[in-house]
Amino acid sequence: MNLMRFKGLPILKQLHIEEQLLRTSSENWCIINDGTNDPTIVMGVSGKPAELLEIESVLRDQVPVIRRFTGGGTVIVDPGTIFVTFICNKEAVPDLQPYPRPIMSWSSSLYSKVFQGIGDFHLRENDYVFGNHKFGGNAQSITKTKWIHHTSFLWDFDVRNMAYLKLPKRAPAYRSARGHLDFICRLKDYMSRSTFIDKTVEAARTQFLLRSFELGTIENCSETEFRPSTRFLTNEELEAAAVAGQ
Amino acid sequence: MIGRRLLQKRVWNSGRRWIFPSSPPSPVPAEYCKRHFSTHVLAAFSSPSDNPINLKIPYTENKCKFFSSNAVADLPTNGIVDVPLAQTGEGIAECELLKWFVHEGDEVDEFQPLCEVQSDKATIEITSRYKGRVAQLLHVPGSIVKVGETLLKMDVEENRIPPVVLGNLENEKHTGGVLSTPVVRNLAKEHGININEVQGSGTDSRVLKEDILKYAAQKDILEDPSFTATADLGEPLHGEMSSSQVSAEVSEHYEDTIVRLRGFQRTMVKTMSMAAKVPHFHYVEEIDCDALAELKASFQTNNSEPGIKFTFLPILIKSLSMALNKYPMVNSCFNEESVEVILRGSHNIGIAMATPFGLVVPNIKNVQSLSILEITKELSRLQQLALDNKLSPDDISGGTITLSNIGAIGGKFGAPIVNLPEVAIIAMGRIQKLPRVADDGDIYSASIMTVNIGADHRVLDGATVARFCNEWKRFIEKPELLMLHMK
Repeated sequence: MNLMRFKGLPILKQLHIEEQLLRTSSENWCIINDGTNDPTIVMGVSGKPAELLEIESVLRDQVPVIRRFTGGGTVIVDPGTIFVTFICNKEAVPDLQPYPRPIMSWSSSLYSKVFQGIGDFHLRENDYVFGNHKFGGNAQSITKTKWIHHTSFLWDFDVRNMAYLKLPKRAPAYRSARGHLDFICRLKDYMSRSTFIDKTVEAARTQFLLRSFELGTIENCSETEFRPSTRFLTNEELEAAAVAGQ
Repeated sequence: MIGRRLLQKRVWNSGRRWIFPSSPPSPVPAEYCKRHFSTHVLAAFSSPSDNPINLKIPYTENKCKFFSSNAVADLPTNGIVDVPLAQTGEGIAECELLKWFVHEGDEVDEFQPLCEVQSDKATIEITSRYKGRVAQLLHVPGSIVKVGETLLKMDVEENRIPPVVLGNLENEKHTGGVLSTPVVRNLAKEHGININEVQGSGTDSRVLKEDILKYAAQKDILEDPSFTATADLGEPLHGEMSSSQVSAEVSEHYEDTIVRLRGFQRTMVKTMSMAAKVPHFHYVEEIDCDALAELKASFQTNNSEPGIKFTFLPILIKSLSMALNKYPMVNSCFNEESVEVILRGSHNIGIAMATPFGLVVPNIKNVQSLSILEITKELSRLQQLALDNKLSPDDISGGTITLSNIGAIGGKFGAPIVNLPEVAIIAMGRIQKLPRVADDGDIYSASIMTVNIGADHRVLDGATVARFCNEWKRFIEKPELLMLHMK
């Protein structure tokens, strides 16, 4: 498995790399991005801005909004968010069925090693929680031969940023209609950034032979014209969504 | 019918397969139904004249290779078929259709991506189960599709039904009060089943292909009069037909009877043919079980937990796992296409069991991490489930090596066939008291078990298997050595 580590990589760039690797590479990958640069809203592939965002505030403050290629919910990410992604061939993990729940279970067992003895970590529906507070959100995409499972971990977050997100209509049952701040928690209360990343790499190492990989190598190797679907939503699109949503 | 009985007997002799009742249907491409089965080739004891006959629990999903070829339905797919949104994970009742990759009128190949759907957190590519032409797309991107609902209609090749039937698709076959498609009705007819008797599991009690298969399989088993309910472990196999009863009946009835192989039997033909391509070699060894007997007796005498019965098997299983630590190649699986051997990390040791419902091979997961007591309990749990026909798909899939305790029934040893995609299988004969000659020339009696290891010669060579067997034998003959590795 190739391991790529970044710090402060823009989330759009990260998602483009992930999408390209998922669609065009036949190898296994682990990508870790220790915080992105600017606060950015990232919606799932079929997210509807009017339902999920406070569009007026988003437009007023010019917060970038990205629609990513995987399913799942909406997050607002910033330098306090740590991203961990696994892109695997279907045969990469023995006995793992390439469907959402098995992959979710596999990932949670990997992180169980990372959080052993720390907090009350478990997978709750599709989220990573301590107790009943979410600190990690997951999304996946499964293709004919591969799957990607990526997670954004709230090592730290800015309370003000949460205000850009509405309470989602589709929410896990355990959320019990709690507001953002009652629902999520910070990983920084449990572990330092470097400890978390190191332990995650160690946990991955128990299952895979990891090789470090430099970004430059991918870009040079890419021969096919790959056009990712992950992109920014334009102001016009957001405005149109706001109008349509009224 | 005598002929049927004859065949049943022969099939019995070559081993009966066991069907897990509530599982998804036969060969289905990977992206759909959660695969519950693994393909097992079970120990077959070939008669000297050969043609090893294998036992198979069909169905697929294994890492190594050939499930894709297995995914070709062995059942006729004629005319226009409804392609449903199949199960993509437990608890997921519906998905949102994100986009189509094909248009109406496009030709598609098997496994070609048809569309992308989203469920909860995952986007999933749905690939085609058939080769054919897209007849009609039934949903637009953005719509919510329930699991089981038809996504699109496809015109599948190899039409065997005259066009007149194709034209009748609109009336959803309400004749006889049972909902189903023309394909499913034909299947029922082929199996000689009255479709009205079949319990439908689809929406509105629609009868699906898997319902017909399940019904057919259960019918097969239930109607077999020659089934003997043996509750012990081991292969209900004999090298040749034995009963004089049969020959008496044969003499009264000279006509040929044609029995079409269908369902599991038909799949067995395919999978056995594949297993036949594997170059096997067999390695035979005798193991002194005196120490094993003493150990078992000690466990029994000092047993503090009621309800636990100690047998030889858990000790043999644990010793096997210890030997596998040193020879991981024996616990591997072979990918022919990429010419790769995957050394499996877990020792999931399969144990062949004869049940009233047929032969089944559940496996004990992660033996490397289990104590002998834990193995004993797990074995007992699996045996009970097997007897009650309640083994889960997880119990019977994911095995990495198989043990066949034919000795529980009888026999010195057999020549087992590897249970693909594993690379080794071990048949253990009965423990017999035999005379041995000591170093000083004295004759003494010892309990001797003969084992035969069947191995895939593409992956394992004689030396590896011999050394592996020596290691295993050491642990059995000197069980105190297990303590050296105790953690």
